[in-house]
Amino acid sequence: MLNILILGLGQCGNRILDAINREAFGSGGTFAKYYSRQKFPASVKTIAINTAVNDLKELKNTLAKDRFHVPHLHGVGANRNIGKQVFEENKEMILEEIDKRGSFDLIFVITSTAGGSGSSFAPLLVSELKQTYNAPIICIAVLPFRAEGSIFLQNTAFCLRELVATKSSGILLVDNQYLKKYSGEDIKSAYDKINTTTARRILFLIEALNSEMLMVTDLGDLKTVMSGGIGVGTMGFYEASKGSTIKSTILGSFKPSGLLFPANVYKDGARAMLIIKGDKKYLDLDLVTKTVEELSKEVGQVFKGVLVKKGRPKVLSLFTLNAVPELEKLYTVAAEAIRFEMEKREKSKKQLENAFAHIEDLEPIY
Amino acid sequence: MVLFVLIFSMTAAADSINTTVDVNEGIVLNGDIHLEVLDVGTNWGSYAKLKFYSYKDAGGKTESIYMGDVPTTYTSGTFMKIEVTLDSISYDTAFLMIESTTSLKISDRYGFEGEDETEKEKQKPITVPKLGITRTFDTNRAEQGQTIRTTLTIRNTGNGTATNIVLDEDTITGAYKDGCPSTIDDIAAGETKRISYDLRIVDAQPGTYELSPAILNYKSESGATYSSESSSSILEILPEEVRIPELEISINSVKGIITCGDKFPVTVTITNVGNATTGKVHVKSDLPADVRVVDGDLEPEYESIKPGDSEEYDVSLRAYEQGKHTIEMQVMWGDSEAAASFEFWAEKSGLEQYYPYILAAIPILLLLLWIIKRRREYSY
Repeated sequence: MLNILILGLGQCGNRILDAINREAFGSGGTFAKYYSRQKFPASVKTIAINTAVNDLKELKNTLAKDRFHVPHLHGVGANRNIGKQVFEENKEMILEEIDKRGSFDLIFVITSTAGGSGSSFAPLLVSELKQTYNAPIICIAVLPFRAEGSIFLQNTAFCLRELVATKSSGILLVDNQYLKKYSGEDIKSAYDKINTTTARRILFLIEALNSEMLMVTDLGDLKTVMSGGIGVGTMGFYEASKGSTIKSTILGSFKPSGLLFPANVYKDGARAMLIIKGDKKYLDLDLVTKTVEELSKEVGQVFKGVLVKKGRPKVLSLFTLNAVPELEKLYTVAAEAIRFEMEKREKSKKQLENAFAHIEDLEPIY
Repeated sequence: MVLFVLIFSMTAAADSINTTVDVNEGIVLNGDIHLEVLDVGTNWGSYAKLKFYSYKDAGGKTESIYMGDVPTTYTSGTFMKIEVTLDSISYDTAFLMIESTTSLKISDRYGFEGEDETEKEKQKPITVPKLGITRTFDTNRAEQGQTIRTTLTIRNTGNGTATNIVLDEDTITGAYKDGCPSTIDDIAAGETKRISYDLRIVDAQPGTYELSPAILNYKSESGATYSSESSSSILEILPEEVRIPELEISINSVKGIITCGDKFPVTVTITNVGNATTGKVHVKSDLPADVRVVDGDLEPEYESIKPGDSEEYDVSLRAYEQGKHTIEMQVMWGDSEAAASFEFWAEKSGLEQYYPYILAAIPILLLLLWIIKRRREYSY
């Protein structure tokens, strides 16, 4: 059984982690935690790490002992510099807390790239974990709404760069902006839906890695996939409808509507992993093999795993990309936002200096 | 051999002499009067039986003279007159004082043969027995079955022996005399005799009886018949008291309401209210099915219980079921028995009353604790 550690950093990471814990209770609803036990598909340890204690308190399905507060008032106020400083000051404590969970075969670090704590902690923590553990570390990086503000955009820009620089096993992107258009609801509901979707796909992946499969794919395959391209990718998902073939289901998982980040898999895909789960009667292995072969011609190396379970076929696709055009757009916007912010600050500074100039030679008279 | 002692005291005129004369000895006064001493004795005073006769009065007379009496006078055929007074007597000698108007002279003394027994007997003085009888009881009140000690005290106050004494004494119906003689040995003059016997009251009816006098029929030595009687007596016969043991048994507890499952004491008391000691006493109990003896012996045995005595013992019991309970106790002795019962109400303990609720609450409580635990696990 695989020992897996899932770390949720900052508010966003905490909430996705909480969604993972909730999904692990199954379909018991809100009160399942009072009478049921989590059923992770592997030996999963979770820790929610945050500097904002209120964010930790909002979690519903994560054990209190799995919530770790890094003491710094109530968050770092989206200031990554402060966040980094806080991490450095507390990293021994954080690493000690992680160390209590034992050893791991795979580590997920879930964080928003836009916030304060998560975006500042994630690159530093990944670096520290790499030094301590010999397990692959996969970052789940959540990109913000583009209109959330210039600070979030610049945080995303620098955070992503730093994450890539850590040379982790790979980064899987989740784009709130992209997913919002599919959720079609208010912001809160959209966040909840995105968090739940992300949580289910991570659990799907963990289940596949830890199960005996009809056609096997494993942790080694995952490492190979994640090391493809620029080491950045995303996940897709598709559930067969009535009358769907296994081929259409597999291909459905590559559709943009099933992806967590906008990408042209057929054009930019480097390596991919397909995990097919469903009743054996739906699983035409020849067709699966043939379909994967066809995809490999376009996407590159495609690993496949077939997991026999009751129900209609479900397919999780995980892939890395050779190019990420959407990131270029994001960085362009981020750069504009930074420049705009700099100009605004210069202007404000000059305006303030001009104002002070009016009293430069004067003294107060009482 | 009779010893003669002769004292002479002679006077010329109105002469008197004092002389001793042995029994069966005679003196001749003035050659005319013969004076013989036939007997001496002390019956009703000292006396001397004398015989007078003379030449022309051969028949003479025989007379007993008593000491202190007036002088006895005898006149001979020749008209010589003497007066004789008994001064005293000894074993077989009379000391006589003889007076006469003429000079007195004891001209001769002589002995003679004693009279034969028949004659002598004929000449004996007449004796009369006189019996007095007194009847006493050790108690004048007796119960049926009891024995009365009866004593007859018989005293002969006469001067003769009572002989052929026959006791004639009636008794009450249903009473029987035990050891009472119908004849009584002779009783000499002055003698007192006591005769005791038991009067057993067997089946005499209760009541007050007047016993008729006890009658003594007796004879004197001479054959004369006499009778005397006691006074009548009052005797009260009481109903026979029946003596049987009678036991009473009681059982009680200081606790009025018993709590189910709790030990409670009961005290059993057996009292002999009868008037006799019992034989072996057995105690039996009948407990409700859910009542158990915790400490002590509820069914002891006693060798006996004396009248007025009590035997008391404590036993600890425990009742398990709620409701009214009755403990039956029975004491048996001989062919008799007595019973007692003790009722009490057993209630469930305060806690026990809520057992169903507690049992129902336990899962809820456990669930609540579990929820609290889980909530605490998920509370930050």
